[in-house]
Amino acid sequence: MYISLNWLKDYVKIPSKIKPEDIAQELTNHTVEVEGLINSAQQFNKIVVGKVLSVIKHPNADRLRLTVVDVKKKKLNIVCGAPNVAPGQMVAIAMIGALLPNGLEIKESLIRGQKSEGMICAEDELGLGKNHEVIMVLKENAKIGEAFAKYLKADDIVFEIDNKSLSNRPDLLNHYGLARELAAIFNLRLLPYEKKFARQEDFLDAKNNQLEVKVSAPDACPRYLAVKVSGLEIKESPAWLKERLVAVNQRPINNIVDLTNYVMFDCGQPLHAFDAAKMKKILVRQAEKNETIETLDEKERVLSVDDLVITDGRQTVALAGIMGGRSSEITPGTKELILESANFAAATVRKTSQKLNLRTESSIRFEKALDPVLPEIAIFRFLALLKEICPSMKIASPLVDINNADQKQSTVELDLNWLKNKIGQEIPRDNVISILEKLGFSLDGKKEEILKVSIPSWRATKDISSKEDLAEEVLRLYGYDKIEARLPVLAMALPEVNETGKIERKIKNILCLKGSLSEAYNYSFVGEDQLKKLNIDFFNYLKLANPLSGIQNLLRQSLTPGLVANIKTNQFKSDDFGFFEIGNVFFKTMGNVIKDNIEGNFLPYQEKRLGLVLAGEGDLLGRLKSVINSLFKNLFNSGIETEFLVLDNLPGWADKYSAAKVVVLGQELGVIGLLSQEATANLNLKKATALAELNFNKLVELILNQPSFRCVEAPKYPPVMRDLAFVAPNKILYNDLRREISRFNPLIKSVELFDVYIGNKLAGGQKSLAFHLSYRAEDRTLVAEEVDKIQAALITYLAHKFEAKLRDF
Amino acid sequence: MKNKFNQLRDEFLEQLARVKTNEHLKELELKFLSRRGRLSELMGGLKDLNVDLKKEAGELANNVKKELQEKFNALSKSLNNLVAKNNEIDVTLPGANLAQGHLNPITLVQNELEDIFSSLGFMILDGPELESDYYNFTALNIPPNHPARDMQDTFYVDYKNKDGHYDLLMRTQTSPVQIRAMQKYGAPLKALIPGRCFRNEATDARHEHTFYQVEGLLIGENINFANLKSFLEIVGQRLFGPNTKLRMRPKFFPFVEPGNNGEYTCFLCQGSGCRVCKQTGWLEIVGAGLIHPEVLRAGGIDPEIYSGLAFGFGLNRLAMLKYNINDIRLFNSGDLKFLEQF
Repeated sequence: MYISLNWLKDYVKIPSKIKPEDIAQELTNHTVEVEGLINSAQQFNKIVVGKVLSVIKHPNADRLRLTVVDVKKKKLNIVCGAPNVAPGQMVAIAMIGALLPNGLEIKESLIRGQKSEGMICAEDELGLGKNHEVIMVLKENAKIGEAFAKYLKADDIVFEIDNKSLSNRPDLLNHYGLARELAAIFNLRLLPYEKKFARQEDFLDAKNNQLEVKVSAPDACPRYLAVKVSGLEIKESPAWLKERLVAVNQRPINNIVDLTNYVMFDCGQPLHAFDAAKMKKILVRQAEKNETIETLDEKERVLSVDDLVITDGRQTVALAGIMGGRSSEITPGTKELILESANFAAATVRKTSQKLNLRTESSIRFEKALDPVLPEIAIFRFLALLKEICPSMKIASPLVDINNADQKQSTVELDLNWLKNKIGQEIPRDNVISILEKLGFSLDGKKEEILKVSIPSWRATKDISSKEDLAEEVLRLYGYDKIEARLPVLAMALPEVNETGKIERKIKNILCLKGSLSEAYNYSFVGEDQLKKLNIDFFNYLKLANPLSGIQNLLRQSLTPGLVANIKTNQFKSDDFGFFEIGNVFFKTMGNVIKDNIEGNFLPYQEKRLGLVLAGEGDLLGRLKSVINSLFKNLFNSGIETEFLVLDNLPGWADKYSAAKVVVLGQELGVIGLLSQEATANLNLKKATALAELNFNKLVELILNQPSFRCVEAPKYPPVMRDLAFVAPNKILYNDLRREISRFNPLIKSVELFDVYIGNKLAGGQKSLAFHLSYRAEDRTLVAEEVDKIQAALITYLAHKFEAKLRDF
Repeated sequence: MKNKFNQLRDEFLEQLARVKTNEHLKELELKFLSRRGRLSELMGGLKDLNVDLKKEAGELANNVKKELQEKFNALSKSLNNLVAKNNEIDVTLPGANLAQGHLNPITLVQNELEDIFSSLGFMILDGPELESDYYNFTALNIPPNHPARDMQDTFYVDYKNKDGHYDLLMRTQTSPVQIRAMQKYGAPLKALIPGRCFRNEATDARHEHTFYQVEGLLIGENINFANLKSFLEIVGQRLFGPNTKLRMRPKFFPFVEPGNNGEYTCFLCQGSGCRVCKQTGWLEIVGAGLIHPEVLRAGGIDPEIYSGLAFGFGLNRLAMLKYNINDIRLFNSGDLKFLEQF
């Protein structure tokens, strides 16, 4: 939204010592952030007054003319297409380098072979009107070479405020509202909002002059005022009106439309003017299903029963509070109008505006809940100004006012003692009273401990309804900087420890420092294409209803696609590298987190995962297993063993011979595997990739629930070490062999693999696994004979169980 | 015989452990491992054994010999390398590069904030990223069809409830965890809530649809505005240095009343104005306020007894300022050249 300083000055006298910068700063400190300050002269930079010296026909184009224009410092050759250009005219010249309000940048150019050193501007190019057919001809007394801004007397300052920062302040989307704030901030006098014209007796007698208005949806339209005006002459608006609209970035159209807009920017009430010749009466009702309307932007809109429309009984003439219809538009031939000044329900306007994706200056005001008193004020204001700019106008109907609005005066009690506690400091009573009164609140019991504060109608719609709201009003105007900071005094309490968070941080540090992995943060969204390439089914993935174009539309169920993409991003920049990520995945099934305030509703199941990826050369799978081993050794009590077991369900992305499940303390935590060749090729990866994905929540649960750690005394008696290598068929797994050895005799205390051999020294289909075995007794030094006896039995047992033979070197 | 070998082994290892100098080591070598040493002597005795025993004992003897020699060599090597013997070694040579991973800068900043607030007795809490409309908006005093919903462009999940509305979404803020925390723990409450949030907006160097917030929550009896202000002050001083000043301004957030944003003295220029603070000397860092009574009620806390303060930081912004990162997309890029700097 743009706010003009000149306009504000209509309602509050600002002493010259208060500079525009001060106003911007103080509004920011007390009311709303001012994002920019625009000097209105700036938009006419490099536009000057020029005099047309000569006009001849363009040699290569019928409709173009070659002109020579005097801009005092030099004479410019300019090609012009306007039919009205003539020698002797004073015109606005956009010089080379000018950036016009409509965004056009002027450059030296060749037009059909003729040099053009600037442009003679039409109104629309200057943002001063919609006329594009003819150039704008200036007054004869204009000075050649003078800045166009000076000619226009553009001396305004415009403040830029983001509408979104005002979503709680419908009363501030206009000049009078901001003038009120300024008066309160700077302690200035706010001038009353005058109704200069039209008293009740100016309106015609209802008996003879009916204007039929019916509201059949009073909830959606709490108040509807209308009046018919005749004797109109549709023409350009006077300069002051156009200037004001241009200052707030509105394009002038014609005197009637401009005036409805003017009143809206003036006091905040959207108005709409219908051509009275095109409609006989007004009926406000809910739309019918599939009813259509062609709106002023020349688009056909299909409506539903939730939308509110204005009709004349035969056809739909406006989308209430959003935009008028084409059929009743004010045209140059309009002689009579019906003016609408109404209050529409915020939710209705907002829903329709969102559904149709049609935001207008009107809809953004209504959807914030406007003051139901305002339509009356605005209609008088409009008529007063109309009389000024169109003296031939006549009021041609009674003033119709269908008022179903709840206009109960609401009062809030403000206990000054409560206020002191809320703020943590006493604000003097006089300050509290003066601040509230400046803002338009009226007070009772000014001498009592509890003030009775009446909320003005323009703050009572959604904004202010509680003492907390009043506290903010007082505080923001008193000044946050005047409040002394003071730390709270609180009872000591032992906070609950977030064990999951602690473990998460520990995992990150271990993986980073010991695993040499870097931490990736990947998006929670994934694309079908990506999943297809990884051979992952996505039929049961949750989808976004409104994905951004260019982002992925499915909610991830695995960290793998993201981690694989991380490898691709870096594959030509690094040799051996890896990542980890701790992040959430999302499922369609119902979880156990409460969804809302309805019993039995739960959110979709969400799970935290730990994903790991390595890329590069060599035994990646083995290296990734080492990372996991090392991680678990650090996370669990000492002596923890990580097992990699044969999978039942192979993930789509994995190579079928190189994937395993990861098991700790008998619990399956996830999978590990090499990325399949197919996926590697699909994704155009140039590196071998090993991946693991673990259930983080389950991992944390296992860590927290493991038996508490007990330190044991160091063994008293020495172990006997034996190295044994077995040759076994390939189908015999390390894990099984190791388990059988470990279990074979209680004196076998540890079994550690130290070599795997597959190669031409062995028969086909065979592998050799070599183990360090450690035998130890708790109560004596073992002697070799005892160990030999066990070992012999073990060899026999394994030969029988696995066809494993002792390897003969 | 076997016992003799084992005894010899133990004796040797024991003495080896006490060796301090090279001379000492040489003595030991002579005594045990030389041709006339005790090991050779003992092995000489093997030839007198019968064939079966000879094979077995021979194996043991060889193992012991190998072990002793290895242990001896290792010690000898390390003793001799303790100091350089001459100037053959270029002392300026670098050490080997140990491989190292890198944490995401968001994690680093998040850890820093968690540590500050843990030291003040705050719990660190977590909540679901896929949230309901109720917790993300309605319970936070943003009812359906409230224009404040436009302040946050929302990703909805393509799943309609019984009334035909989308009521599942990717949380736009960490604030839904406020309500969940109030419901779980009641008052008084001190909690810090870090987490991933989502907004449906196109990405560029300044905008990300996936970003991180940290939100703080303090509920008790008589928590007031002066408390909020001092809280923000000490957080700023801890984050940006002891001379950091705070400036507060009104800002509308539906879940607080009054609502503010807080600016801190620019830590780069100390307030004199620079490129980072756009010459203002101030950096807008924190959104804050006293918790709205409706929000306390939605969390099951009586606003007539308790009051609370809440504040939130954008972690991306903090990290960008702290580390001079000029493109917000880098955090989620997985680019090693970026991550390796942390």
